[in-house]
Amino acid sequence: MRLPQAQVALLEAASATDARPIEQLADQTDLKPEAATRAAFDLRDEGLVAVEERVEESARLTDEGETYRDEGLPEVRLFRAAREAGGTVGMGEAVGAAGLEGPEVDIALANYARKGYGVVNSGEVSADADADPDADTEAAALAALATGDAVDDDDVLDRLESRGLVELDERTVRSVALTDEGVTALMEGVEAAETVDRLTPELLTSGEWKDVEFAEYNVEADAPAVEGGREHVLRGMSERVKDVLVGMGFQEMDGPHADADFWINDCLFMPQDHPARTHWDRFALDVPPVADLPEALVDRVEDAHRDGVGEDGDGYHSPWSEDFARAIALRGHTTSLSMRYLSGYADADLEPPQRYFSVQKAYRNDTLDATHLLEFYQIEGWVMAEDLSVRDLMGTFEEFYRQFGIEEIRFKPHYNPYTEPSFELFGEHPETGEEIEIGNSGMFRDEVLEPLGIDCDVMAWGLALERLAMLTTGAEDIRDLHGTLADLEFLRNAEVTY
Amino acid sequence: MPVVDIDTDELRGLTGEDKSDEEFKEDLFALGLEYEGDTDDGLLQFEFGPDRLDRLSVEGVARSLRYQYGADRGVYVPNVNDADWTIEVDPSVPEERPYVTGAIVRGVELGESGLESLIQLQEKLHATMGRGRAKGAIGVHDLTMLKGQALTEESEPSGTIDAATADLAATEKTITYRGVDPEGDRFVPLDANAELTPAEVLAEHETGETYADLVEDLDRYPAIYDELGLFSFPPVINGKRTEVDTDSRDLFIELTGTDQWTIDKMCVVLCYALSARGGTVEEVQIDYADGATYPDEYGPELIRPDLDTDEKSVTHDRIETMLGVELEREAVVDLFERSGLDAAYSLGEEETVYDVEIPPYRVDVLHPLDLVDDVGRAYGFNELEPTYPDIGTIGGRHERSRLERAVRTSLIGLGFEDMLNFHMTSAGENYDRMRIDERDTGADLADAPLGAEPRAEITSPYSEDYTQLRTWALPSLVQVLENNTHRSYPQDLAEVGFVAHRDDDVNTRVAEDRRVAGVLARTDATYEDAKARLQAVCDDFDADLETPATEHPSFLDGRVADVVVDGDSVGVVGELHPEVLVDRDMEVPVAAFEFSLSALE
Repeated sequence: MRLPQAQVALLEAASATDARPIEQLADQTDLKPEAATRAAFDLRDEGLVAVEERVEESARLTDEGETYRDEGLPEVRLFRAAREAGGTVGMGEAVGAAGLEGPEVDIALANYARKGYGVVNSGEVSADADADPDADTEAAALAALATGDAVDDDDVLDRLESRGLVELDERTVRSVALTDEGVTALMEGVEAAETVDRLTPELLTSGEWKDVEFAEYNVEADAPAVEGGREHVLRGMSERVKDVLVGMGFQEMDGPHADADFWINDCLFMPQDHPARTHWDRFALDVPPVADLPEALVDRVEDAHRDGVGEDGDGYHSPWSEDFARAIALRGHTTSLSMRYLSGYADADLEPPQRYFSVQKAYRNDTLDATHLLEFYQIEGWVMAEDLSVRDLMGTFEEFYRQFGIEEIRFKPHYNPYTEPSFELFGEHPETGEEIEIGNSGMFRDEVLEPLGIDCDVMAWGLALERLAMLTTGAEDIRDLHGTLADLEFLRNAEVTY
Repeated sequence: MPVVDIDTDELRGLTGEDKSDEEFKEDLFALGLEYEGDTDDGLLQFEFGPDRLDRLSVEGVARSLRYQYGADRGVYVPNVNDADWTIEVDPSVPEERPYVTGAIVRGVELGESGLESLIQLQEKLHATMGRGRAKGAIGVHDLTMLKGQALTEESEPSGTIDAATADLAATEKTITYRGVDPEGDRFVPLDANAELTPAEVLAEHETGETYADLVEDLDRYPAIYDELGLFSFPPVINGKRTEVDTDSRDLFIELTGTDQWTIDKMCVVLCYALSARGGTVEEVQIDYADGATYPDEYGPELIRPDLDTDEKSVTHDRIETMLGVELEREAVVDLFERSGLDAAYSLGEEETVYDVEIPPYRVDVLHPLDLVDDVGRAYGFNELEPTYPDIGTIGGRHERSRLERAVRTSLIGLGFEDMLNFHMTSAGENYDRMRIDERDTGADLADAPLGAEPRAEITSPYSEDYTQLRTWALPSLVQVLENNTHRSYPQDLAEVGFVAHRDDDVNTRVAEDRRVAGVLARTDATYEDAKARLQAVCDDFDADLETPATEHPSFLDGRVADVVVDGDSVGVVGELHPEVLVDRDMEVPVAAFEFSLSALE
């Protein structure tokens, strides 16, 4: 019979008459205990050995148990002190004489009467003359355990465990004995098969692999961690958003991060004294003004700001200067790209119908914290067509959010300088069911579209990608999701979404 | 966005509706006011877009709700009594703040809550239309404490007329808006007990310090006088003499600012709110004296408040196409009336046109579109059934976004963890800690090491950590390494990302680029590891890579090379200089590369 090396060794070490613990056999055969155990079970499955299992309980003193073994149990000490003082004595005196400190006092009182040492009443401790502290079973058990002797009284052990003075451990001891079949096999002769660790090119080419036994691996054991390359979790969300939008017929826009305020704000009919255009909210750049703007468009935009558009249109009662329009800043929203595309400045003039989108960075001068970043990804999208209605806007956005598990959109009428009607979008959090704001939308105003040369309808919406990502990943700190302060552990552990 | 604090008991009183707080929250959401939480005093806070500034007080919110409930219909304009008082504008008024307006409201029943509401409305108007008091600032005074006398020399002193008889006096009473030398007069401001000069108010008074920057550069400060002297120092603080309290019944309102229309409208919103508290509005005459700057569009003599309604026209077709529903004409008129507007329609040859009358508190109606929005809100936008637009368009990604994705996929395949770093950084991180010196704007960059390009700097930044755009991507990756020395190695990180530097030859004065950057941080990282991966990426894109030796202060001499792709020098590869590493308490070597994404096009 050919068996793996470990099994042969174990079989030869085992006895038919005397069941031996596996640990002992492992020692004898120089096998690791796990390997010996595995071999024993394999041999049992072959019917060559019997494995007997027995649960062994052992008890060990805790630190507190050690202390009481040395100094005596608090209740015993209290009894001795009371007896010494004549049988009945004031509590304070007894405690002092017993040398009890801190929690020991309560422990002593809790166990005193239970164990029949006497009574504690009205601040007096009396000692029962019949009680014998030297016969205390708990103290005896502590002493026995300390010297390594076994204690058979389970009640006492349980009591000591509940007092936190001993810790009980259970372990399974397995013993191995040869079966008759095992004895027969040994008598007929058992050979060790050659085991190899790795399948090598030599084994493969020589054909030797046919004659060797491959060492078995513990296939359930943990393997070392591997940190493979992976897409950034926020990038993954951005790619998913792009996929969805491309699938809905949207074309992607691209354009400058640092841009003239004209494209960022003036085209959007944002009055120049709008609070979002003050230096507190925007990142102005310390560079000269933009070199070129389309002059005719600048004039039309200025007219819209000053006098409005259309017969009944009114302008703003706010100052307007081309110098401000020409100043360069980091874009506060990516709607600057929409303006560049709608005006035909980024690419060719556009004829309806069109759908465009971008997922790009915008910059806001804010305080960096768990829910705010100075730079964030804005999802921006717009649809241009003849005669779009508010219902089309609602239908488009419902479809978009449905792709991310957000149903039941509510539309809160809102105000933006550049859209009318405008809506804040609210949806149900897919996990918590809470109603949360998920975007801002509207139909671009005539004051925006007419200067750009658009004479059909354009609806638009925007939201922060990080917000969508926090919703779907459950991230609680936005700084983990995006930026140089990232924790690699968070990124490595983030669940892949798709 | 503005927040209005609402006492729902007041709301129940002013609307006449016995609704629960929850019902009000629902109704207000439909109007565009979102419940935000409660104040410490148990008021409900609602946030809304800064269009309907007439809703900055409980009175205005109640008016909107009454329209929504159908309790009120159509345009309401309060009755106005003729002017008894004149505000004269003296040529000494600082030209930076030339305009003034005003109104009188008599017989108001303020009480505790009314006074609080008035104060809130003032503050909110200051924060919104008033642009932090710069564009318009309000002062409300107890009229009975004012004594009117014409400033002109020929007028009789009227000091003998006391407040009780002021109503009956037939003679016109005058106060004056004028300029005052910063040290030129003294008065007791609110929340003070001693007389101060205007300059002292700015230096010593808490409110004065807050608003000092609005006036401190002026030669003369704005001031308002009655016969007894200075009683208001706009836009900073009122005088104590005319302070309004819960028992004040007759109020004098003055507003000063940089735009007449804006302060007139703020005044109108105040008058509507006080009228809802039982007040009767009385006109005030504004006379801009010869030599004073008056508003071109209105002339030197004004009667205020200007409660004239506006009129705009909108077609039936526009309403139907915007809302996507068919509506009866009468139904549209009904919706207008429930928005606090009046409308009459005429059936033209081709289309129906509504002539809509708009009350003066509506500062948000700039275009007929805004009227369509009102119809939509009255109809209930959430009543509309969403439809998916029946439009065919072809979707697709931008070429660069496709390239970025492809490169990122290659890098991930090579085992890099994809990073997404901030575009903003500081000069310390971008240059100093990488051991490179920034080049001057306009300098020849041909021989400059990668990253040494001049910065595009943020004007007066808040945070010293974010003062410029990064000129290269490697410092960001090294920062991530620095922040993660407690995490397991190897740390192979890569980023395809944005960088920018100042370049006055570019239209936007900022040259923007995308870079491919990678770092390999591990105990045995060498130049060869970085080059091997760089080579693999180039091979993926069929780009020809050469790596001639170069020098770069961020890298170890002798272990750094130019990245030359298809003959163009586009980046750098090498082992980071030990100084760069030990400065960050890093204990493993780092091999790195960075080059322009465009090289792989």
